Amino acid sequence: MFGLIGHLTSLEYAQSLADRLGYPEYAEQGLDFWCMAPPHILDEIKVRSVTGQVIEGRYVESCFVPEMLAQNRFKAAMRKVLNAMAHAQKHGIDITALGGFTSIIFENFNLEQIRDVRNVSLDFRRFTTGNTHTAYIITQQMELAARDMDMHLQRATILVCGASGDIGSAVCRWIAHYYPNADLILVARNQQRLQEFQQELGMGRVLTLEEGLPLADVIVWVASMPKGLDIDPAVLKNPCLVIDGGYPKNLRTQIQRPGVRVLQGGMVEHALEIDWRIMEWANLTDPGRHLYACFAEAMLLEFEGWYTNFSWGRNQITLEKMAQIGAVSRKHGFQPLLS
Amino acid sequence: MTAAVTLDYHSDTYRDAYSRINGIVIEGEQAAADNYCKIAELLPEHRDELLALAKMESRHKKGFEACGRNLHVTPDMTFAQKFFQKLRENFQNAFAAGNVVTCLLIQALIIEAFAISAYNIYIPVADPFARKITEGVVKDEYLHLNFGQKWLKEHFAEVKESLKEANRQNLPLVWQMLNEVEQDAATLGMEKAALVEDFLIAYGDALAEIGFSTREVMQMTAMGLAAA
Repeated sequence: MFGLIGHLTSLEYAQSLADRLGYPEYAEQGLDFWCMAPPHILDEIKVRSVTGQVIEGRYVESCFVPEMLAQNRFKAAMRKVLNAMAHAQKHGIDITALGGFTSIIFENFNLEQIRDVRNVSLDFRRFTTGNTHTAYIITQQMELAARDMDMHLQRATILVCGASGDIGSAVCRWIAHYYPNADLILVARNQQRLQEFQQELGMGRVLTLEEGLPLADVIVWVASMPKGLDIDPAVLKNPCLVIDGGYPKNLRTQIQRPGVRVLQGGMVEHALEIDWRIMEWANLTDPGRHLYACFAEAMLLEFEGWYTNFSWGRNQITLEKMAQIGAVSRKHGFQPLLS
Repeated sequence: MTAAVTLDYHSDTYRDAYSRINGIVIEGEQAAADNYCKIAELLPEHRDELLALAKMESRHKKGFEACGRNLHVTPDMTFAQKFFQKLRENFQNAFAAGNVVTCLLIQALIIEAFAISAYNIYIPVADPFARKITEGVVKDEYLHLNFGQKWLKEHFAEVKESLKEANRQNLPLVWQMLNEVEQDAATLGMEKAALVEDFLIAYGDALAEIGFSTREVMQMTAMGLAAA
């Protein structure tokens, strides 16, 4: 059985959804209450691959909301992630994806140091960040959309914002390997880590976001922050391809300008039969056909019986692993979202 | 999770807060021992098992008395008895009425889940002596939670509504009790939000195991929490 650990995009949305689903006890409460709320299994999922294979899964709502980070409620945020993981393991889930902010919290707060959560000793082999599949999907979105826009990646200026992160570094490695002549711009908040990564990569130049944005033909946005960032669309090139793979995915509404194409990064379109309710809660354009690539990774690992933490730790994603997950992604009916 | 602040276990402030928290823990273990003896009268077929649980609780009490002595603290038993008074009254009324469901909910679910959460949150911030003792105790408490769970699960159909009613009457008391010791717990390095969350997990897991649906668990565990 596979599992998905997720969260809602804001406190306000969490409250309105709790109201809609008939949980008035949760709907009327402010951040303090959500900081104390335990995880819940809110959905039982059945998935049929295009190959005909059927698997089952569970959705674990962590009760985390991004306001916990914005308002420095870090302890609460950490508890949400660890408790949701313990909940998944206690319910016998074999492989669980840490969706949205949960994998970022796990990584940034070094939660791998905390193995024991009450009477559960976490077995990290049962969890995956899903980042390998997300990175693979982003590279495919970039390649296919660029082709569609008559853009040649080999000659393009590609800016990766969040380049030293897990997904960002994987995307950069992929660019360095397949498009070594591209002009790669590396942007990240942590300058020391970024410089080290640039040396390791042997390619790309480090710029600030303000310096880089006006130069880029392609922008891969994989930085995640609790409140998002304002980008002035006027500084962008025409044409420009923007792949919004961070959280929250708000660049699409922010950047509306002719010649600029914004894709929801790290999202897949699929032809699988999935019986669930949770995607209707995720504010997606087509909840029946669209899905987060990180969640899809847990399904792929379950389909293939790869009960292992396929994506784990920072900067461990190799091109081989991206190719490996890419092959089974296509096999079971997932495609990069291009609409 | 590890303690973010360094605690001075021998400071007056710490020991003053400890006198009340230690008193509560000792009184709680005593109440638990008494309650299991009473439940044994209501469930004679489980008498041996219940008396064994009562014995364990008495042993825990002795362990926690040693924790107080180790820090040269005199437990504030007057405060502790007042702290448990309402819950104790509710238990005694239920026992007098022969209401085993309410007795089990109060002792085997609420008090046990409360103890488990408090001990879990305490362990990372406890002094080395108390940590060792509390680690041993918390393992036992999971077994006790398990006894109530098992019995109520076997009788779920006939006890479901009474459990909901007992929950409505008693859970709000837990939130009041937590508020009363919020400041003292914080002095010991224990955060109220973490305590509540841990309690909700232990109590919610028990309710789910007994047979309640996720929706019912969410409704029951949130009972009275907003007002607290």
